[in-house]
Amino acid sequence: MSLLKPFSKLPGLNAANILLVENEEQLQQRLADALVEETAVTVNVRLAKTLPLPLKNEKSRPRIDLVVFIINLTSELSLQSAEASLKYLDPGYFLGKVCLLVTNARNASVPPARLDTVRKLAASLHCPLLCAEDQTPDGVTNAAERLLTILKVAAGLVPMTTALYLSNLTRCTVPSDIDQQGFD
Amino acid sequence: MERRNSMARTPLSSVVAPRRSRSKSYRRSYHSCLGAASYLSLTSGLTARRLTTSRRAPKSHSITEKVSPEQLALLVKKEWQLSYVTPLHQFRHKQLKSYSRQLQAFIVAERQQGLAVGMEGADSSFRVSFSVLQGMVETDDDAESVFVQIHSKPVFAGQEKPMRSVWSGWLACISGSPDYLRSLPEDFVCLPLFCSSGAEWLTSLVKSWFQRMFDCCFGPLEINTTNLEWLVALWTNCHSEFNIQHLKLMWTLPVVPPLEVTYTLHPQDAWELWRSIREDVQDEEKTEGGRDTMAKDGGSICIEEVMRFMQALKCHFYRHFRVDLSTGRLDQVSTALGSAKHNGKIKISNSSYMITTLMLLTECALLKMPI
Amino acid sequence: MDDSTKRLLQQLVRRIPTQMLKTTLEKWGRLTTEQQKSLDFTQPKWVLTENLLAFCEENGWTTKHITELEMIYVTDSPNQGMWYAFQLLDPEDDAPSVELTQFKEQFKIHLTELIRHVSIKIKKHTDEAVWIRIAWGDSFSRPNHLKPTYVVHHLQTPYVFMSSVTRKQKPLLSQALVLATRYTAIKDAHLSGRKLTAIRDVVMKQYQQVFPTKYPSPLLEQNQTASNPLIKREQAESSENRHQMACEAFGYGMVPQLQTAVYKLETKFRGITNKTMTERGEPIRCVVKFTSTNLLESFRNCASSGIASTPVTPLLSSITQKGRNFFVITDNGRGPS
Repeated sequence: MSLLKPFSKLPGLNAANILLVENEEQLQQRLADALVEETAVTVNVRLAKTLPLPLKNEKSRPRIDLVVFIINLTSELSLQSAEASLKYLDPGYFLGKVCLLVTNARNASVPPARLDTVRKLAASLHCPLLCAEDQTPDGVTNAAERLLTILKVAAGLVPMTTALYLSNLTRCTVPSDIDQQGFD
Repeated sequence: MERRNSMARTPLSSVVAPRRSRSKSYRRSYHSCLGAASYLSLTSGLTARRLTTSRRAPKSHSITEKVSPEQLALLVKKEWQLSYVTPLHQFRHKQLKSYSRQLQAFIVAERQQGLAVGMEGADSSFRVSFSVLQGMVETDDDAESVFVQIHSKPVFAGQEKPMRSVWSGWLACISGSPDYLRSLPEDFVCLPLFCSSGAEWLTSLVKSWFQRMFDCCFGPLEINTTNLEWLVALWTNCHSEFNIQHLKLMWTLPVVPPLEVTYTLHPQDAWELWRSIREDVQDEEKTEGGRDTMAKDGGSICIEEVMRFMQALKCHFYRHFRVDLSTGRLDQVSTALGSAKHNGKIKISNSSYMITTLMLLTECALLKMPI
Repeated sequence: MDDSTKRLLQQLVRRIPTQMLKTTLEKWGRLTTEQQKSLDFTQPKWVLTENLLAFCEENGWTTKHITELEMIYVTDSPNQGMWYAFQLLDPEDDAPSVELTQFKEQFKIHLTELIRHVSIKIKKHTDEAVWIRIAWGDSFSRPNHLKPTYVVHHLQTPYVFMSSVTRKQKPLLSQALVLATRYTAIKDAHLSGRKLTAIRDVVMKQYQQVFPTKYPSPLLEQNQTASNPLIKREQAESSENRHQMACEAFGYGMVPQLQTAVYKLETKFRGITNKTMTERGEPIRCVVKFTSTNLLESFRNCASSGIASTPVTPLLSSITQKGRNFFVITDNGRGPS
């Protein structure tokens, strides 16, 4: 299996590389446009629909510092695709180099169980869960800012902070009674 | 410099502990009642985290035994817009006549102030009537359903011209959670489901009157995908006793321009599929030997069966068109028993089994309420 | 001028949108220059109607003149109402040599033989299409001009398009068409839509079906160069492949605007691991209807974004390949064509 490995390549100088994985390929382009506007650091953005990534790009691909899975809660397939893609990540990524980004969390047609599933998934992977609003440019800018914060740490550009340390602070937790039964 | 946009707040690990109050006089919030507060720090009304895994299959009791046909005729074959209402303070079923007069006066006053816009014709006269839908309850804890109707006729029409109904609405509570209902203080009446049909300006007038009189809150009640799927299963299940005539499902796929997919199945075939799924699930449970405490005599439907049924339907579609309907949004389900849309519009076409539908909607309303 | 003419004129003016009314009247050419000048098109419709009724009285227009006006309007905006496509089959030897005057004569003769009281108007439009307007009557009444049928036929092609035909009228019309065009039979092409131009393009394949050049799709190139060099798509190739297959199935660039596609399925249940159902063996009857403002574009979008798996299933690509949007699918292959 062609796993994506976090430390098999050398890092770039003053650069941070982020991989956005999204089944719908909608939000990732707009997030990418917002991310590359960062001036302090060179941000390289790679966009993918699912993992595994094609082998032929292996040589030209830089070391990916942060993998973000974008899940649209209104589509069941989005979540399933993200879960399937997670299998193609080397376990090294789960030490703070993976993040889940969820959109449409407050949409009324979304069954609440789906968000619960994502939270449980994020909790089991010890990674942060971000909720983003993708309908307005402000929402996209906001999400990009938060991703940049995590990205800079994951790329080692923030002194005295490592990705693992940050993930301990930001990881998603799920309360123990999340599975409470209904009325009967 | 840090922009703190409340929409974009991430749920950090600060978990709010449930507020359990020992004294009975304190009204327990719906969620704390069931043992968990809402953890998503955003609008708590939307955190319906109760996943009802099983529902009673609709019984074939005829509702006409309990509710008079004339009153039923007011409810069926009309499309209702759903909202949820928080419990009403000091609402008395015995004062309905007085409420009729007060609401009538309120509407006339608002009209004169010119606040109501977009209405037809000049200076119509109104008559409001509140009535009780006798027998429209399921358990003893449920409050009696109330029906409101507004009649009007243009002021220049003669005396002989009858008033015609321009707006109707009703509040109901069908088999609401007994724990919650019993925990309410004496003065509150819980009728969480509000259905309205008629001009928008009248609906907002009625809502603001209720809000002023009974210190309650209204909000839109949408029907999410899981609940629509429950309705699909519950209605299909009725086919053995009542011909549902067709099972129609509508999806919208997120492409440009949006693509609507209407998938209509022959009722007998849908029922056969449903039955075989139930058999399979029940066989599996027997072999696994677990969960035999539930009445598995066909009396209850569990969510596993519903999910598998929907999955089977989508799979059959996929095998032909290679399009996965999970990428889209389930918009509408309809059978001869009624139709439900995701934006909170419901139509009951036949009074049989309507109690089950209303039970499901009452539960949705209770879960969506912010308190 | 009798009542029926008045009514016809009234109904017609009501139907024509004000912005088109001016040009249509000019094309018609039966108003004198003063009358034309005196019409103020900014006034409400009912005023214009009154004026035109007055002119009708003045100029002595008959039903024939009004139907002329109607025909001009309909040929200029053909994308209204529902159009149904038909195909003529088995041409006789002299079918290719049928030309306009012969067709006109023969059609009128044959249709009047079949039904006495009809009013037929045939006109050739600029784009090689022959437009026929038929007002039907019966043995007791004169032709009803308020509910005319329109038929469009492209000479030298076996295609006919009809709008507003009732079940009783269809066999008579079909017979007359078959005889006039020197074919043997006519069948339903199972293609319908609101826009005549769209169904014509689909059935006669008059839209871009083949990829224009050998070079990479201009669409994708545009995407890449417009965006930042720092942003790279990992799976650009598979994305490009999907787009290619989507375009092959549904057309490139602007596609004809169909609105619906209906599939009547009666096939065995094809689900997952459901032994009871697969043992049952009886087919499941269902009807699937796809609706959109531009159906082919929606499908193309589905395929290129991955919602519809590529290669596109023949059920969907048949819409363009076979030029139809109504299908009956059973387990033994396609249903009756």
